[in-house]
Amino acid sequence: MTGEAVTGRRLPDGWGFLVLPLVAFLLVVFVHPLISVLARSLSDPEPGLGNYAAFFDSPVYLDVLVNTFVVAGLVTLVTLVLGFPYAYLMTLATPFWRGVLMAAVLVPFWTSLLVRTFAWVLILRDTGVVNEVIGALGGQPVPLLRNLAGVLIGMVQVMLPFAVLPIYATMRGVDRRLLQAAEGLGARPAFAFWRVYAPLTLPGVAAATLLVFVSSLGFYVTPALLGGPQNVMIGELIVQQLSGVLRWGFASALAVILLVVTGVLLLLAARVVDLRRMIGGGR
Amino acid sequence: MNETGGSVDVLGVGKTYGQAVALDDVTLHVEPGEFMTLLGSSGSGKSTLLNVVAGFTRPTSGSVTVDGRDITHDPPYKRDLGMVFQHYALFPHMSVAENVAFPLRRRRVRGAELTRRVDEALDVVELGGLRDRRPAQLSGGQQQRVALARAIVFRPRVLLMDEPLGALDKRLREQLQLEIKRLHTELGITFVFVTHDQDEALTMSDRIALLRDGRVVQVGTPADLYDRPASRYVAEFLGESNLLPAANDSEALLVRPQDVRLSRPGADLPAGDHAHDGKVTEVIYLGSGLRVEVELRSGGRLIARTGTRLDPVPRPDDEVVVHWRQQDCVTVPA
Repeated sequence: MTGEAVTGRRLPDGWGFLVLPLVAFLLVVFVHPLISVLARSLSDPEPGLGNYAAFFDSPVYLDVLVNTFVVAGLVTLVTLVLGFPYAYLMTLATPFWRGVLMAAVLVPFWTSLLVRTFAWVLILRDTGVVNEVIGALGGQPVPLLRNLAGVLIGMVQVMLPFAVLPIYATMRGVDRRLLQAAEGLGARPAFAFWRVYAPLTLPGVAAATLLVFVSSLGFYVTPALLGGPQNVMIGELIVQQLSGVLRWGFASALAVILLVVTGVLLLLAARVVDLRRMIGGGR
Repeated sequence: MNETGGSVDVLGVGKTYGQAVALDDVTLHVEPGEFMTLLGSSGSGKSTLLNVVAGFTRPTSGSVTVDGRDITHDPPYKRDLGMVFQHYALFPHMSVAENVAFPLRRRRVRGAELTRRVDEALDVVELGGLRDRRPAQLSGGQQQRVALARAIVFRPRVLLMDEPLGALDKRLREQLQLEIKRLHTELGITFVFVTHDQDEALTMSDRIALLRDGRVVQVGTPADLYDRPASRYVAEFLGESNLLPAANDSEALLVRPQDVRLSRPGADLPAGDHAHDGKVTEVIYLGSGLRVEVELRSGGRLIARTGTRLDPVPRPDDEVVVHWRQQDCVTVPA
């Protein structure tokens, strides 16, 4: 960038104060809490790296971290497997049905997470609708609550819009006439789809993967209500340390560890995917 | 790459969309190795007809055969026809070479044979140096040449082209017209070419099928259509035309502007010429000639195209005699 380009984009002198409220807001709401979390993790109950040492000393805590990533990975996988064909269906539907499909994804999105999660409890419990149907058909009740299945069902439902929307946005930009061209050149429809259409939707799939995966890492309510003791996620551990045993310093250290690991993953992902384009920033 | 072309037969093909008739009982025979142009204005059904041959549109009635084999119900990928689109339809995530290799990979051509044939096809369209570029890095003309290479690389016996030059500017279009013509001669395969541009059709085709409202109104060589139009519509669609009332009401006299001569009143006219008195209303200088509009005393107007070196150069309000040779005018059903 040349100096001219920079000055060309500058506001006239004296207008800079307009961004001050935003800067103040960011400082108060984001920067300050982050710094105080970091500070607490290094100073409570005593200064030093004791909280981090405690984390890495105990296999239980490492297990929780690993489990968090496993659950987030599984949620991402299932969400993509469901979201991709869903988004594709939206591109094929008539405007009316596209609206219906869009609403079906978005209405739960606007409903309280807590309400939805409790609804899942009612649906998935041993005497819930699902198991009643299975029982009526002569099957044994399937445990869907307090285990991984429950967590996956609950989280996938929450995360689906975050996969469908970016994938749909990308698909809408793909020229369907390319499929016709591929067929004209001798490709069967399935071959044309996987060699021509699918690769062109990859930016949307990458965006969905990152959004869903990173958001899943921090889940608390859904795993707490639908999951069991076998698959505790780090969010639950933090709450437990915070309000259960009042180890604020250790809870802060957990938060910092989650943040750092997530940051590292994003950096790695950024080497493959253009993150800035994905979140609509520069070109 | 010297292949023989396939013959294409369209037999009684109809296509309706609800109430709308896109094709109405179209029958057309394309000779092996022929350059056939489907010409018509938008909505004439020319693209629908091409899409029926390509297999993208299912006809409501009738059949399509290539080399005598009925392909009416074959999906596009089984038809083995090359296809070039107005919008190029290059695969943006593949390089030029990968695009051209696409139809070959589908046909299980691999290794050195694949490379050799891709290079060969790119050489034919003179793009050998650009094989590793992405489509987005190419100009419109280059993209359309890649599309051409991709459509011929698997040696189809028939190449279908849907307004391939429609998105290009005039100079590039004229250049590519000649290249496509050369390609047709070199490859020896059958070309079916869709355009709304009558000049393009006249320049390139062995034969032209002029479509209107889903019907073929005339099929013939460019000279057939231009010099011996089957109807007033054909006469007016191809080039500029003067249509004058004929002896009986069901016919009109067609004389092309370049066949009309201008003389001063009282000058000696060649024996047998048709002659009318009139007054010049407009003179436009075109560089290559003059376009002179004359109002006839008997009513109606007439366009004459002349050289720029007339003596004297006609001016508006000049009294003139317009005349033409008997053999330069034809009667056309009105």
